[in-house]
Amino acid sequence: MMTHLHTPAVAVHDLRKSFFDEERGEVTAVDGISFEALPGEVFGLLGANGAGKTTTLRMLSTVLTPSSGSATVMGHDVVKEGERVRRNLGFHSASTALYPRLTARETLEFFARINGYPEERLNARVDQLVDRFAIREYEHGRIEKLSSGMKQKVSIARTIAHDPPVLIFDEPTVGLDVMNAIEMVKVVNELKAEGKAILYSSHIMSEVEKLCDRIGILHRGRLLALGTLDELREATGEHYLEDIFVTYVTERAGTADAVPGIFGEPGTPPAS
Amino acid sequence: MIGPLLRNELRMLLRDTRTLLIAVVAPIVVLPGWILVSNFVADREEERIESATYRWALVGEEAAWGESIIERALDLPADSTLGDATFERVGEGNDSLLSASEVELVVVARRATEADSLATDTPVLEVRYRAESDLSRAARERFVERLEAVREAERDRRFRLAGLPASRAELGVVSTTNVASAGKEGGRLLSRFLLPFVVMMMLGGGSIMAADTISGEKERGTLETLLTSSARRSEIVRAKLLAVITVGLAVVVINVVNLAIYVTIGVFDLPEGLALELAPAQLALLLLLFLPLAGLVAAGLLLVSGIAKSYREYQLYAPVLFLAFLIPSLAGLLPGLSLESAIVLVPLAGVAVATTAVLVDAWHPLWGLVAFASSAGAALYLLRRVEGVLSNERLIAGTDFDEAEFRGGPALFPRHVLTWFLGLWVLFFLASLWFGDVLGVRGQLVINLVGIFLGGSAWMVHRYRLDPVEVLSLRRPRWTAWPAVLIGAPSFLVLGVGVSELVNTWLFPMPESVLESFARGLTLDLGLAQIVFFLAILPGVLEEIAFRGVLLHGLRRRLRTPWAAALACGVIFGLFHVSLFRIIPTGLLGIVLALVVLRTGSIYPAMLWHLLNNALALVPDELGWISPDLAVPGWAYALAFVGMAISLSLLRPRTPGAPRAPSPVGGVPPGGYSP
Repeated sequence: MMTHLHTPAVAVHDLRKSFFDEERGEVTAVDGISFEALPGEVFGLLGANGAGKTTTLRMLSTVLTPSSGSATVMGHDVVKEGERVRRNLGFHSASTALYPRLTARETLEFFARINGYPEERLNARVDQLVDRFAIREYEHGRIEKLSSGMKQKVSIARTIAHDPPVLIFDEPTVGLDVMNAIEMVKVVNELKAEGKAILYSSHIMSEVEKLCDRIGILHRGRLLALGTLDELREATGEHYLEDIFVTYVTERAGTADAVPGIFGEPGTPPAS
Repeated sequence: MIGPLLRNELRMLLRDTRTLLIAVVAPIVVLPGWILVSNFVADREEERIESATYRWALVGEEAAWGESIIERALDLPADSTLGDATFERVGEGNDSLLSASEVELVVVARRATEADSLATDTPVLEVRYRAESDLSRAARERFVERLEAVREAERDRRFRLAGLPASRAELGVVSTTNVASAGKEGGRLLSRFLLPFVVMMMLGGGSIMAADTISGEKERGTLETLLTSSARRSEIVRAKLLAVITVGLAVVVINVVNLAIYVTIGVFDLPEGLALELAPAQLALLLLLFLPLAGLVAAGLLLVSGIAKSYREYQLYAPVLFLAFLIPSLAGLLPGLSLESAIVLVPLAGVAVATTAVLVDAWHPLWGLVAFASSAGAALYLLRRVEGVLSNERLIAGTDFDEAEFRGGPALFPRHVLTWFLGLWVLFFLASLWFGDVLGVRGQLVINLVGIFLGGSAWMVHRYRLDPVEVLSLRRPRWTAWPAVLIGAPSFLVLGVGVSELVNTWLFPMPESVLESFARGLTLDLGLAQIVFFLAILPGVLEEIAFRGVLLHGLRRRLRTPWAAALACGVIFGLFHVSLFRIIPTGLLGIVLALVVLRTGSIYPAMLWHLLNNALALVPDELGWISPDLAVPGWAYALAFVGMAISLSLLRPRTPGAPRAPSPVGGVPPGGYSP
């Protein structure tokens, strides 16, 4: 993956997604956002629920089709080359559950296989994952019988089973206990060190602060700010990410007041 | 990629032990178990009856006579017609003994009375029994058959004494011989239940897999995991289809083998005469016919699974689907339904009739191929729909954006318009069934036009808060619209006659008698003024409001192009003219009228056209200007063609330069469209 260091692994340009609601017409969930993520970098999308994080990431995973704008993953267009995009992508979110009646090992084999991992190296790859995530003990246990911590490990191993250069983690620590959340953050850091490009969405400030090289603040479908933590500190004069976030959302959102949010009424200026 | 996906589906199903036990193993064990138990119970019952001693009592004024007959009867030895039974006489008795189960029969020996409607003084042996007791019933049967045997012997004896033939065979013999081979006879029998059986098993078996595969994945949250893998949606759908087919066929095979085993070991018997001789070619044909059937059933199940949001919802829809598939599969049972008929066009029913044809040697390759194609085509269509369902963003994005459903309003109308018109159609149909004879033509026209069309339209406009001017295109057209209508309406009428003739000659040949009875139906006893009012003005205005107003408005917002809207509007309009061979001409009229509205942006020219069309079709005939058998000469068609061309070119949007491309959402813009 080192060869890709100079080119962005994910490039998003003026991406927009509107849903058609017959009463109100167009509801814009993502409203013209642009960013890039480089190999070996964790790019954080920070935003409240309904800010458009999941919609953005689902467009990158080709599950949703953008209304306009463009996005590429490893140079492949998400609209025209869906299959290639997905082959280069590991997608992990709260809604990507595992098949309960498969064993841990079968899960990894299945997802490596349908993501096009070469058959002759498949066994070695699965062994490697089993060792790396310490799931040897229960590799033949069915997913439905595993504890949530074990499931989480298998789920991460599933995400990277086909060794994709780009990884998407959408709110991966939601619903995890403290130890499992810490484990999650550790794994993401390891993957970053391996040169993966990682998109990480969260609404938990401390996680983003610790983990992300660059941060995009998403509010009502718009990217209000984009930069490293230090750059954001400098721009707002605030130290903590929480304060930075609040500053952008309450003060800078004034420029975005015409944006029809998903749940807010369009055209109402924010209280300040 | 389909291979691993399919293996995965099947592996997961095989591990769902509880489902497998209940859906596959349970029927295998329960069915023969039930048969075994009921056979056992029946055997025991029979044994009890066979070994029983039947007690009887004799009463009545002719007891001495009765006793001599009964004695003879009970002394008869058991043979092929008389069963073995032990009888025991219990002195004097009456009905109270009978109801106390002290005796099984009470025999009353007496002379006939008026109530018996026999010659008075005929001696009568009345055997009284209780039908609710198995023993009493069995006793009556055996007792009476012995009494009758005695009577028969007595009659034979008297015949012989008189020198007459005593046995029927002595007069001559009536005999029958079956020349059909046992195999053919068996084929007839088999053809009745083979296809429904296969469809039922396919549905039952396939349903296990179908429920698990899409609605199950939605419920467990694994669908997004699968859709974000690099497998294509078409591959996913095909793998799932194959999985449903595999499980369905497996259940069919399991049940057939199961049945065969139980027949072989004698748990139960095949119906009498079911000897089957299938040539290899017949078997191959049957298997070939089952292919589209399996695909169709599986695709249907998968579609329901894709539409349902959860198992629970799937279970709600499944019985409806089961019925929808089972009913056409019973088509083979309909008497006199030949393979060489329109039934081959109906998916599933065509295959059902073709299956029967194969089994009774009435197979026809061409018609069989059509039956195959209609089912295969339906299967492919359903499959496309499943892919569509999997691509539906709502599937993933959830229901957050469905608020319109709850709020109603104009935006919801295009989604519901077809359902509303289906409802109107049903009303229309029922009204013509119920009131047709009672109300006469005028009454029915008023119910249809004012009640259903105008009332329905008004209700829809009210219900969805639609703007009547917008919906009904109540605008003044360009002046050229009027000459266009005056030229177009008669031209179209002449062309319509030609089309009807073509249809009647080539497409659906109608027997003369049908055409005549239809012509009679139109001969009305109304008088000119009423004909013009009820059959031209009223439909011209009210049908236009309903079809070219409300319906076209909804279709325009639902369909992509004005052409599609006009076509759909015409088809629906045609379907409202229930009689089969009027659908095509009225459908064409519907299309033309929709185009008139779309091009002029106004409903008034269409109303005039419709009115003129009906008036021109009826008035000259009523006044006796033309004979009904008048043949239209060739030059008239040519002239009509030119007339239509001129008319359509005159029908242009009111404002020059009005928008020509359809706006993404919206009805007819003020300037109309130029399709």
